Amino acid sequence: MSEHHEQSFWAQYIFSQDHKTIGKQFLWLGLFFLLFGGFQALLIRWQLAYPEQPVPWWLFGKLLFSETAGIIDPDKYNALFTMHGTIMIFWAITPLLIGAFGNFVIPLQIGAPDMAFPKLNMISFWTMFLASIVLLASYLLPEGTAAGGWTSYPPLSTPVGGIAGEGQTLWTLALTLAGTSTMMGAINYIITVVRMRAPGMTYFKMPLTVWGLWLTSILNAIFVPVIAAGLILLLLDRTIGTQFFVAGGLATVEGGDPLLYQHVFWIFGHPEVYILILPAWGIVSDLLSVFSRKPAFGAKVTAICMSTIVVLSSIVWGHHMYTTGMSPLLGKSFMFLTLLISIPSAIFFLNWLGTMWRGNLHFDPPMLFAMAVLWVFGLGGLTGLYNATITADIYLHDTMFVVGHFHYTMAASVLFGGLAAIYFWFPKMFGKKMNPLLGKIHFWASFIPLNYVFFNMMVLGYAGHHRRIYNPSEYEFLKPIIGLNESITLFAIILGVAQFVFLFNFIYSMVKGEKAEANPWNATTLEWTLEGPIPHGNFATTPTVYNGPHEYSNPAVKDRDWIAQSEPMPT
Amino acid sequence: MVKNTMQFWLKRLKKKAQKITWSAWGIWYIDPPKDVSLDGYRIDNVIQYTDTVITIYFSLVILTLIYFIFKYRARPGHKAVYDKGNTKKHVMATIAMGLLVFFSIDIVIESMSFKDLREAFWNFPKGENVVKIEVMPQQFAWNFRYAGADGIFATDDDVVPAQNQMHIPVDTPVLIQIAPFDVIHSFFIPNFRVKQDATPGMINAMWFQATETGNFEIACAELCGNGHYRMKGYLTVESQEAYEQWLSDNAPLEDDEDDWGDDWGDEDEDTQEIPEDWGWTWKEVQ
Repeated sequence: MSEHHEQSFWAQYIFSQDHKTIGKQFLWLGLFFLLFGGFQALLIRWQLAYPEQPVPWWLFGKLLFSETAGIIDPDKYNALFTMHGTIMIFWAITPLLIGAFGNFVIPLQIGAPDMAFPKLNMISFWTMFLASIVLLASYLLPEGTAAGGWTSYPPLSTPVGGIAGEGQTLWTLALTLAGTSTMMGAINYIITVVRMRAPGMTYFKMPLTVWGLWLTSILNAIFVPVIAAGLILLLLDRTIGTQFFVAGGLATVEGGDPLLYQHVFWIFGHPEVYILILPAWGIVSDLLSVFSRKPAFGAKVTAICMSTIVVLSSIVWGHHMYTTGMSPLLGKSFMFLTLLISIPSAIFFLNWLGTMWRGNLHFDPPMLFAMAVLWVFGLGGLTGLYNATITADIYLHDTMFVVGHFHYTMAASVLFGGLAAIYFWFPKMFGKKMNPLLGKIHFWASFIPLNYVFFNMMVLGYAGHHRRIYNPSEYEFLKPIIGLNESITLFAIILGVAQFVFLFNFIYSMVKGEKAEANPWNATTLEWTLEGPIPHGNFATTPTVYNGPHEYSNPAVKDRDWIAQSEPMPT
Repeated sequence: MVKNTMQFWLKRLKKKAQKITWSAWGIWYIDPPKDVSLDGYRIDNVIQYTDTVITIYFSLVILTLIYFIFKYRARPGHKAVYDKGNTKKHVMATIAMGLLVFFSIDIVIESMSFKDLREAFWNFPKGENVVKIEVMPQQFAWNFRYAGADGIFATDDDVVPAQNQMHIPVDTPVLIQIAPFDVIHSFFIPNFRVKQDATPGMINAMWFQATETGNFEIACAELCGNGHYRMKGYLTVESQEAYEQWLSDNAPLEDDEDDWGDDWGDEDEDTQEIPEDWGWTWKEVQ
């Protein structure tokens, strides 16, 4: 099994087929784009708080907007929120949660030597890299990058829609490439989990992290092809003059339908929300157990609930389209199906609390971030009820309320889940410890401003502030919210600065951090049984799995409060 | 019986809702724009009911979390209880709580919402006094069309006021059909709690009724390009007499056959070139 053969530099670090190296590659890519997308968020916030005032030097105003003396113009503003959304979803969170941790954790936790298709895994990363180049290249175009919103609804996103330049074309191409990368990854993860589990690793003995990543991959494999089809049609509209999605006064031929794109987009788009959050749910379920020193409460029920949500998530897309004028009967069905999701969500949410109940809680940074997910996902999930309600959504749709809501679910929950994962697996990935004090500072400096920002976005939306507007002071009814917009921006800047604490901790610990022992958290899952730098091929001998993933504080184990999955239970 | 009890509690909860949301949100709370429509209160009510129940549930969760953090924190001598939470009792308890959430929030807001749709938002007005207006958004302006004296749309006597100008009489149902010229727009009047997308190739409908006179803003809620933020319309709600006067002031002159795009003295600098001969025969729905 062990393959300690020497590899060239290129094979080992660049075109590596080792899932651990590919995981790290995705990690770097994700972190780069996370900073990039976060920086764009600050520029958006600046414009909303201080409309049409020059961007200050510490946000590189003069450099970025040189023609307009540091002022963001409407075209640039539209490009900013378009790329912020696109990058955060497809280039930051997807690579971080799915690319990095999916790759690094799945084979180690199920006791596999690598992914089922190592070469496909490598191609998946380099396709993503190519997609990134295409995306970034769009910034170099004279008319700038895409500006049709991250949803890029046609006809606006077609050549007749009025956005100048080919930025939108490159956006479509880049997203298609990123989708291709995701599909390759998804196939790989699914087959790895199905075929390569170590002896004894039954489905319900898999850690919930693997459950989350596996379910995510299933959704990816089914629904990314749907958006890919939509994007290819859009690409044809953009390049060879078809009009699949053009109708009305701009159409020169009959039969195009803009609404078709919305259906296709959201058939993918709603599962996408769960694609992003399922890994975070799995990670949080496991981490709460590790740091409560107690088995995950109702782990099997949690896994079943997550699977139920996977099924439900694929039949609720219409709740994004209540105001499009679709059939009332459809609207009602979509509302009912959407509301059904709250049952499994409430159940596994209670299981999280159940895990902590009568536990022995250790508040290390991963635990803090995992508990924060309870807070932010609680709020994000509950505020989804407004958007699921047809009548409330008539008023709240396309307002900042929706923005606040999905930032709580997608940005806050997924990001905190991802940060918990980074703090937790860092010792295994890099063999070093991260500074826990800096971790705690980073936590509080993120948690408080993040809540101020996203909660008040919902307040803005309730006050009528509609989305994607360049200058809210155009409207009389938005006069009362100017002060709130300013304070949100202030807190967003604090949130941004706080991430430098993390970045410093991350890089400093990697270079100069204290050497970590093999199992610093006394965790039970298989990756922690491996000593030192893990070689290509992972396990010297394939482990045999005896126990579930959450054997903490088992009275049968005498001298410590945990037992690894590969250790036979003492009798 | 069951219905009455539910209504009673709903009313009490509604009263509580107002108090709780005000006190809990404190300085953060910003009033939504004043509701001046017949049915906008329904939307405010369902939002307030949701506010109340989710505040209660979220507070319970957070209080429990804080209690656990304090009570079960790691300290010398403290040990976790080995409990997998997979006994029948545990599973039933969590499922019961999940169902409790579903029936106390979801089912209630669903029935409120469906009732409001049935009674108001999808209950389109019929009859002689209904004011019918065709709306044609374009990048980046609103065009309005009234049927004129003959009551038929897309004829020469249609009243097409200055761009971005919409007038309606107070206390009269207004029925709108909306179809855009170019890209997707969304017709949003915050003071009326209404919003309707305008999608190319479709004619969508909506209705509302004003309860107060005054001037209100119309916003575009769907990204439509770089002028999206300034795609603003001006809604004037006035008395029936003033409205009729305004209509006749804006009626096309007999000898002026092509009055499309005439400037009616509007000072809005954002007027756009209007596509020729827009307007459609009113789409009758059963």
